[in-house]
Amino acid sequence: MKYQFKANLPPLALGMLSALVFLAGAELLRPEIPEPGVEVADIPFYQLPFGPDEAGRERPFWPSRVQTENGKMADPSQIRSAAECAACHRREFDEWAPSLHAIAGRDTVYERAVEANEDLHKDGVEKARFCEGCHAPGEVLAGRTNRFKSVMPSDAETEGITCVMCHTAIHADPEEGNGALTLAVNTGVDQVSDPMILAAPRDHARAYGAAETNALIASGDFCGACHTEAYDGSMSKAQSRQHVQTTFSEWRDSWYGRNNVTCQDCHMAPDPAAYVRQIRAGDLSKPMRYAHNFVGSNYLMFDTSLGSKLTFLRGGILPGLSDARNTELVARQGEATRALLRSAAGLALRKSEVAEGNLRFAVAVQNLGAGHNLPTGVIDQKYMWLEVVVRDSTGAEIYHSGAFDAERGETDPEAVIWREDFLDAEGKRIPDHLTFVTVAISHVRRGVPPKGEDAVIYETQLPPDAKGPFRLEARLWYRVATQEFTYNTLKTDLVIPPFELAVATFRLPDTEKVRP
Amino acid sequence: MNMSKPALAMMLTSALLLPCGAVAADDAESRGLANVKQFTLDHNRRLIAQAELLEAALVDYAGTIAAHGGDYASAWSSEGPRLAKQIASIRSLWLEASNHYETIEGIVAGIPATAKYDLILDAGNPGTEGEDVAEYDLKLPDGTVLKRPGNLFHGVTEPLFWGMSEAGIKLSADLNGDGKTTRGEILFDANFGLGAARALAFWAKALEADMSAWTPNREDAFTSVVVMTPTVGDYFGEWKESQFISGEIGAFVAQSRLADVQGIMGGCRKMYAEALSPVVAAGDADLDSRIKAGFEELLTLVDDTYAREASGAEFGVEEADALGNDAQDIADRIVALVLQAAAKAGVRIRG
Repeated sequence: MKYQFKANLPPLALGMLSALVFLAGAELLRPEIPEPGVEVADIPFYQLPFGPDEAGRERPFWPSRVQTENGKMADPSQIRSAAECAACHRREFDEWAPSLHAIAGRDTVYERAVEANEDLHKDGVEKARFCEGCHAPGEVLAGRTNRFKSVMPSDAETEGITCVMCHTAIHADPEEGNGALTLAVNTGVDQVSDPMILAAPRDHARAYGAAETNALIASGDFCGACHTEAYDGSMSKAQSRQHVQTTFSEWRDSWYGRNNVTCQDCHMAPDPAAYVRQIRAGDLSKPMRYAHNFVGSNYLMFDTSLGSKLTFLRGGILPGLSDARNTELVARQGEATRALLRSAAGLALRKSEVAEGNLRFAVAVQNLGAGHNLPTGVIDQKYMWLEVVVRDSTGAEIYHSGAFDAERGETDPEAVIWREDFLDAEGKRIPDHLTFVTVAISHVRRGVPPKGEDAVIYETQLPPDAKGPFRLEARLWYRVATQEFTYNTLKTDLVIPPFELAVATFRLPDTEKVRP
Repeated sequence: MNMSKPALAMMLTSALLLPCGAVAADDAESRGLANVKQFTLDHNRRLIAQAELLEAALVDYAGTIAAHGGDYASAWSSEGPRLAKQIASIRSLWLEASNHYETIEGIVAGIPATAKYDLILDAGNPGTEGEDVAEYDLKLPDGTVLKRPGNLFHGVTEPLFWGMSEAGIKLSADLNGDGKTTRGEILFDANFGLGAARALAFWAKALEADMSAWTPNREDAFTSVVVMTPTVGDYFGEWKESQFISGEIGAFVAQSRLADVQGIMGGCRKMYAEALSPVVAAGDADLDSRIKAGFEELLTLVDDTYAREASGAEFGVEEADALGNDAQDIADRIVALVLQAAAKAGVRIRG
């Protein structure tokens, strides 16, 4: 045995050495696998009107802060459509499909606003990367937000904030906002066929469910990357940073932020309104699961009573849905949206008196359930106002503020209103969301902070024959677009109906609440 | 080296025919380029004709107001139905004129000699802005001169005729007689409107003069196809929207424009086939055949849909959406391929 080993050792060693040399050679000669993604230079006619950053690096996605993990453009053919994901993740798809995230890049209101802005400037389409970076990141990352679209279209690009856009995130900067997300859409995705996913699910899970990604997308920071928005000279005419959307910081600095009640807890709870009620009752336990419904405040996009007009407003039907299924899912999401809105606000009478023939009273608008200001987001179009009607003991109306003209779709110009205004170079209000010519942002009245209230004081002269007790009806209204915008930009005479957030009736001058 | 006689004969024949092929390709390209120019001039002429009709409609409207001494309330009270009809006609004519311009806008904007007209007619800013200013002054019939008021279609006439700008509104009036006066139901400033309509006709004619002197080249042909093909998607998108909302809300842009789509698309296909295909095929025959297939696919979709609409077919939301998306998708793919072909051919795209 020993002899045999000795005799065979040299050829064995030689064989092993040869094998090692062969393997080393093969490794050395192996063609280098190109890094995934597409070089900017390889996209014909791609415009870079904003120049490089301070370090001299190209900024292909600017003025959006969204970027890929390796700085390359994304290959649209490698980004899976949500309709493909639905083959296995049906429940998640059905939750997401009616959501505002799914139609973020296609709803007609948004699309028309972007087109109106694009027409304002010769580099308007490239400036619109600012908008699309959050609304349609797939388009921006693939290079289709460009005057000349030389990149082939794909379904995923039409799906707004689609599956891949969240499930490949590796970094977020909620302080900078403006889409400050880094997405591993080039290296962090797999291209495994469905049967192979079933055969070897770990690779798929590693691609879309990396530990760092899962932790990030469960955080408020992740949401803040887009729900923090500021204008500067790249996308507007602002000379200094103008804060347009501060939803993240409103939350971060609130009771909710301090108690780790995150954006996802409320907006991804299976029943968001129920969860808000749970929080209001002091139970801070997390939801049993996180649904992909992203229930928000835009009730209009779920108003199935609009019929085919709703399909028009939503920009059509997503890939993977039929008309009937779309309507069913939208209706279900609409119920959740309306319930969430009704859980957010309250009204209280803070003061009332009759003195020197005048009736004075203060109505407090309370933010009872929202973990951010009420209203929040970009609120030049979305706005909230208070309607108050005072009647005397005979029922005659003696004071009315904040009426809504349902024929013209216009709110009483004297109403107490929570809205921000975009201002042009002459300081005049821009009514139709023209970001690219906005110079400054001002607030008619800032949103009501979480667990806070804003007391509005009214005073009116009583008619000589008016007799009390008086009855005050207060209504808090919310609307998602101004009529000027609807008419000028959407070019329709559709009247956007307002939504009643809260209603209360009080006796004046005493503070007895009649009907909460 | 032994070479068979047939092979030698083939080589000689090829060598003799090669220049002929090149000449044939050149001829085809020249014909295609002539077509680009003809297409542009045709639409420009239609724009002029429409602008003249618009001017005549404004003369009527201004005449009605003038007959009441410029008192809009009095004019409305005495001749309300007539004024409502005149305004409806003005808006309809404006839409037609604007559509004719939109069809050639990309070409006009892409040619250095005519780019200024795009700013004046459709895309320029008022003088208060620092860049891309529409360089003209608007003289009104009463002698007022408005310095650099902005582009005529979207900066001046659209906001005026539809009451989007408070400054031009003279009176709110129930134009449609439904008992309500909603936004956009207005009498607008006739003096301003007439001056703007005259300017529109004037500048459309000036564009034709410069366009007639233009000699298109290969760059222009590529630019034309690249900028016009996506408008097909837009028109089809409007058709789709008109299916969603017809009769329900008063959208003043969403119209069924399949006839326009057919005409424009036919023009694009012709331009590509004649002026560009020989150039593209010489460098990448596969790319050329994919582009051609794209045009065929789009035209088939348009033709079929138009034929169904003409025969009275009604489209459900789901079907209209699917057809509109298909058309947009095909148009987007064609444009992407043509741009890739332009890049391969070293052609610069303007517009």
